[in-house]
Amino acid sequence: MSLRGLVKHFDTKLAVAQLSLEVPAGSFFGLLGPNGAGKTTTLSMAVGLLRPDAGQAFLLGYDVWSDPASAKSRLGVLPDGVRLFDRLTGPELLAYQGLLRGMDASTVDRRAHELLEVLELGTGNRTLVVDYSAGMKKKIGLACALLHAPRLLVLDEPFEAVDPVSAALIRDILQRYVSGGGTVVFSSHVMEVVERLCDHVAIMSDGVLRMHGTLGQVRGDRSLEEVFVQVVGGRVATGSELAWL
Amino acid sequence: MVVTFVRLKLKLTANGLRGKPARTVLFVLGVLCGGLFAVLGYAGLAVPGVLDDEHAAGIVLPLAGGVLVLGWLFLPLLFFGVDESLDPARFALLPLRRRTLIAGLFTAALAGVPALSTLVATFGMVDTVARLGGPVAALAELVGIVLGLLLGVALSRAVTSAFAEALRSRRARDLATVLLAVVAALLGPLQLLVLSAAQRADWDTVAYLADALGWTPIGAPYSLGLDIVAGRFWAVPLRLLIVIAAGAALLRWWAATLERAMLGASSSAGRGSARSGGPARTPVRRLLVRGLPATRSGALITREMRYWFRETRRRATLVTLMVAGLFLPITLSIGDGSPGALVILVGGLAAMALANQFGMDGNAYAANIVAGVPGRIEIQSRVIAHAIYVVPLFAVDAIVIGAISGRPWTIAGELGLLLASYGVGLALVLPVSIRAAYPLPESASPFAMSSGGGMAKGLLTMGVLLGAVIGSLPLQIVAYFLGPVWWWIGLPVGAAYGLAAYLISVGQAGDLLDRRMPELLVTISQNRAV
Repeated sequence: MSLRGLVKHFDTKLAVAQLSLEVPAGSFFGLLGPNGAGKTTTLSMAVGLLRPDAGQAFLLGYDVWSDPASAKSRLGVLPDGVRLFDRLTGPELLAYQGLLRGMDASTVDRRAHELLEVLELGTGNRTLVVDYSAGMKKKIGLACALLHAPRLLVLDEPFEAVDPVSAALIRDILQRYVSGGGTVVFSSHVMEVVERLCDHVAIMSDGVLRMHGTLGQVRGDRSLEEVFVQVVGGRVATGSELAWL
Repeated sequence: MVVTFVRLKLKLTANGLRGKPARTVLFVLGVLCGGLFAVLGYAGLAVPGVLDDEHAAGIVLPLAGGVLVLGWLFLPLLFFGVDESLDPARFALLPLRRRTLIAGLFTAALAGVPALSTLVATFGMVDTVARLGGPVAALAELVGIVLGLLLGVALSRAVTSAFAEALRSRRARDLATVLLAVVAALLGPLQLLVLSAAQRADWDTVAYLADALGWTPIGAPYSLGLDIVAGRFWAVPLRLLIVIAAGAALLRWWAATLERAMLGASSSAGRGSARSGGPARTPVRRLLVRGLPATRSGALITREMRYWFRETRRRATLVTLMVAGLFLPITLSIGDGSPGALVILVGGLAAMALANQFGMDGNAYAANIVAGVPGRIEIQSRVIAHAIYVVPLFAVDAIVIGAISGRPWTIAGELGLLLASYGVGLALVLPVSIRAAYPLPESASPFAMSSGGGMAKGLLTMGVLLGAVIGSLPLQIVAYFLGPVWWWIGLPVGAAYGLAAYLISVGQAGDLLDRRMPELLVTISQNRAV
């Protein structure tokens, strides 16, 4: 994934300013930033959900905005806030996604069955997705993103509101996916997860990329959290304030 | 303490308007409507006094008062939604005694346009009573209208709060929305029924009714002044007792439901039993409606069809359409026997259901964008799914009209007109659904108000409906002049006319959608950051 000079304004507020980013193929890439840093906006522009004011986005060499069909067919997305057609049941949703991608019915059936099994969502489950728990929604969203075997996965906050057991499962699946040659880009503000999973990280705040590189380069000999807080410019409690606590 | 609540409410109202011109305009419009209601109400209620007619006052005052109190009960439920700017659940963590909380919330509920305009309107009653019976009677009536207002607010709060609690689970909410849609759709026919009943009733019955109403909590407060005018002093304490007892009971009820509402506001996600089992059908088989191909279009059509059934708002739309589609022509064909022109309206109305088709999906539509669905296929599938529900309704409509008006040979022609107006309506509404989509609130309460911007877009939809009627007018004229010939050629010609209009539009709309997909997604997403 390659982003070149992306700019996005919302009214007068500059959400993303001249952002350029190279994500090497086959990497496990973590996009870090505090709330409101522009992570979701950036990823939305990268996958073709939000038109940038300026700049280009290439996925696996295809321009998302001039050749969307080629780019999107090789891309899997888990959007933030899990946007799903949630009045379908899990299996129905997967079948819908598969057919929408133009896959043939037997392949859809086989893969959907397998995904539901592995993600422990139940192949015969007739609960509507709207009644799923937060963790289950993330999992079915991930299944939708994986169904057509994309070469690039873009995940927005995949570990938000997910219980530890499901999180471990998702981590496991993603790691296997990357070792199989896929590329994962995900946003998060949970340092621990990023530190554990990613080989490349980027830190952004206020719509600007502050730092990027391999995990080792960015982290140096400190912990990622320290680097993050310093780069973003947050303050660390010195002990003198709030003394009455 | 109570003042704090009122100030909080006013502050919330003001902040809600800040930087949102559209909402401000709507708010001002609301205030103007409230003012108009107040003035007209005052004028109307003062009439018996001006005419110096004690008998009329005895009828009008309790009846109008009762209607007002009931209005406080039903209007929030059906149309306006409950003002939840002061959500009791937000106060759950504060160390407030129940009495303080109730008093505060109640007073805050009074601080608003509806309460104020109701009070001003009912001052007309005081005016009337003052003219009839002097200052003492007026004072009694003043107490009466204040009590009446308090009762109305208490009633609306207690009932909506109890409702909200009963409707915590999604299933119950879905059901309630559909029921409300049916009720709302039946309002029209009911009105006709009431009107015809009123024509038959004589004034003695009405006077009797008003007298009886005066002894129920909803009419009693407004009869206080009249008692003094008529010299029935013994009745005053009795009526006061009735009102105060009812009010106290309502407040107690409200307090009880409030407590429960504070406890479980965020609980019960409604984890329906994970039903499983059943025959081992494959996911694809489970998704597709029988007979549709396992392709992109098949999936899209199926999803749309399921959504018309499973998604609350859409189901409500569909139910309303069914009821309106059946009752509108029936009531009119009973009236004068020529529902022809109205048929066009039904066809147009059906198409209007798609006016905010993307807004109803909300940001789930992102899935289709990411999957790269071409605009034309997207729109065509949506229309086909809608037509699968609507076209049979048209057929039933045509048959019912033909049967009731006693001219079964017109059935085919009427169906032709319906299809034509549906096609023209679609042709107009498809671009609008892309250009003028608006987000719907993702609210937990089925009674929640829709966001302000929707109103203006609703007006646009009405314009489109008008356009659909005009667009199919030529056919109507042709049908009129051809007479009997139309009965034979009406169906194919009408269907072709509608289809042609639709086909011209669908290509354009498809291209438009291809160009505007991300922009569309931004407008239908609740939060601006996609």
